[in-house]
Amino acid sequence: MDKAIEVSNLIKDYGNLRAIKEISFQVDKGEIFGLIGPNGAGKTTALRIISTLLQVTSGSVKIFGYDLTKQPDKVRECISYLPEEAGAYKNLSGQDYLEFMAEFYSENSQEKKSVVKRGVEIAQLSERIKEKVSTYSKGMTRKLLLARALMANPKLAILDEPTSGLDVINSQAIRRLIKSFAKNGTTVLLSSHNMLEVEFLCDRIALIDKGVILETGSPQKLKDKYQAQNIEEVFMEVVK
Amino acid sequence: MNNFYNLVKKEMKELITRQMIISLVFMVVMFGMMGKFIGGVTDEEKKPIEIAILDLDKTLISHNFIENMAQPENVRISIINEDSIEKAIEKTKEREGKALLVVPQGFGKDIEEIKGVELEIYSIVKGLSIGEVVSSGTLGQIINTINRKMALDFIEEVTSDKRAKDVINPIRTKEFVVVGDKTVPGDPGMIRSVATSQSVMIPVILMMAIMYAGIMVITSMGMEKENKTLETLLTLPVKRTSIVAGKMVGAAIVALIMAGVYMIGFSYYMSSFTSEVTGAAMTAVKELGLVMTPASYLLLGTSLFLAILTALSLAMILGLFAQDARSAQTMNMPIVLLVMFPFFVLMFKDLENLPLVLKVILYLIPFSHPTIAAKALIFHDYLPVIGGMAYMALFAAVAMYICVRIFNTDKILTARFSFRKRKRGI
Repeated sequence: MDKAIEVSNLIKDYGNLRAIKEISFQVDKGEIFGLIGPNGAGKTTALRIISTLLQVTSGSVKIFGYDLTKQPDKVRECISYLPEEAGAYKNLSGQDYLEFMAEFYSENSQEKKSVVKRGVEIAQLSERIKEKVSTYSKGMTRKLLLARALMANPKLAILDEPTSGLDVINSQAIRRLIKSFAKNGTTVLLSSHNMLEVEFLCDRIALIDKGVILETGSPQKLKDKYQAQNIEEVFMEVVK
Repeated sequence: MNNFYNLVKKEMKELITRQMIISLVFMVVMFGMMGKFIGGVTDEEKKPIEIAILDLDKTLISHNFIENMAQPENVRISIINEDSIEKAIEKTKEREGKALLVVPQGFGKDIEEIKGVELEIYSIVKGLSIGEVVSSGTLGQIINTINRKMALDFIEEVTSDKRAKDVINPIRTKEFVVVGDKTVPGDPGMIRSVATSQSVMIPVILMMAIMYAGIMVITSMGMEKENKTLETLLTLPVKRTSIVAGKMVGAAIVALIMAGVYMIGFSYYMSSFTSEVTGAAMTAVKELGLVMTPASYLLLGTSLFLAILTALSLAMILGLFAQDARSAQTMNMPIVLLVMFPFFVLMFKDLENLPLVLKVILYLIPFSHPTIAAKALIFHDYLPVIGGMAYMALFAAVAMYICVRIFNTDKILTARFSFRKRKRGI
């Protein structure tokens, strides 16, 4: 079984509003897959469902073969989710926060130590890691949260706008980091508004609008298909 | 177990902030200061009151009257030798006296002729606090004693009968209190006060612990939403029941610490003006068996624990609707009301004397039961205690089940109270 994610005919309703309209896609193990679309397209809803936060209205989702509805605890053991508007516990220091999170992914104190060490390295907050999160800038908090999401080497990293709030230099560093994690076997499912980021990062993308997936494929294949210079042009063509 | 402990530790770290510690210390210092102040006032009240007497009659009768004047424990009487009231008042002021009692000219003559005499009392007022003014009760007590003694002397002199006491007070009473099959002599009011003093703090402890526990849990949920940490928490490889339990236990520990510190301050404050229990009343209470046994205290402790557990479960459900730490304070209001209502009703009335509707309402409110238990246990009436505990356990179990169910659904992220038209986000 080579599939990390298998989404079939997924529908999600909020009361009378249908946010996701029967979408299907698959993500291979070790692949970086991007969900691309405008605000309100249904990207975050799809990621929240796959992260076990929202319930499925109909359809099926399997993560590494585990049924999302029937085995949510098993799914949570495989994933690590970074929400777009996430925060950290303000009364904890960055180090305490990573230690708190590492506890859930470690079998013993030795493993926990190495997970935290990796987290500190990813966060690159130097001595500020020992200070309270309440003193961090938005960018520093984002780096800490990304470190939290990746430090345990999850099988599947679900990243909603991973570089949101980061400057160009930090964004590039984070993109390189995501690539290196994927090379080491982590599957990445991400959403982004940044088409350049998507082109650089993703092996395959799905263009989503108004709860419907309009196209799926590698950035190059889609550019060729729509004879476009970049993904932005592809997107404009697709949603026409 | 590790995950649960980790969650409890995190909850406590998040809830015990510098501001919280400062406010707790401030509260204890405030109680300490209030206790010291009130204790000082009480000590001041215990100081003997100086009452001066000016004898303008200067007869044998007035002399004997002053000599025989009974001095209550907290009164010191001094005689002033002046020829006018004005000078006597000045002298009284110099002596820090609180009142001047003037025996008028013709006092002895009027007494002999049984005409009735009027004594003038001048109260020296420097302030309006309790210790500054001699109560009319204190002076009345002195005058009554003299009146009685003079009346007895007079009756005995006129009738040569030694039963003057029985003439003045032909009827006397002796009180007994009956509880179950036991009867002991004593004042029922005093016995009641001694018996209830064993558990008088229970409603206060309960109110404080529940209010703090509720606030802590709801605040914790509000903070998760405000800091946008809830989504991450819910995707961690840990069972939702552990998250719920971790939050509840963490908040309960912090709440108990806060309530404990509060109670230390409050007890100190209360001890500064509570009266001492008389030995006779205590003996009567023991003879009647109206004492809390270790088993009673154990039952009361369990009842309190179950009430706190119920409050935590309810608070968790309410906390799901809190959007931030500020709205969390408001969300705790229903729990505060449910605690306050039985607290105030049962403070003034016994459950048995209430109308049926009110009685049913109180039985339905889980937080009434520890107070009901505290009273019932003094009379070793275990049925309402056990029944109340069973009800609270059931209430808490149902509330916790609902809470875990909600935690396992979208509602945990989408539930909110709003008076405005709800906007849907994708």
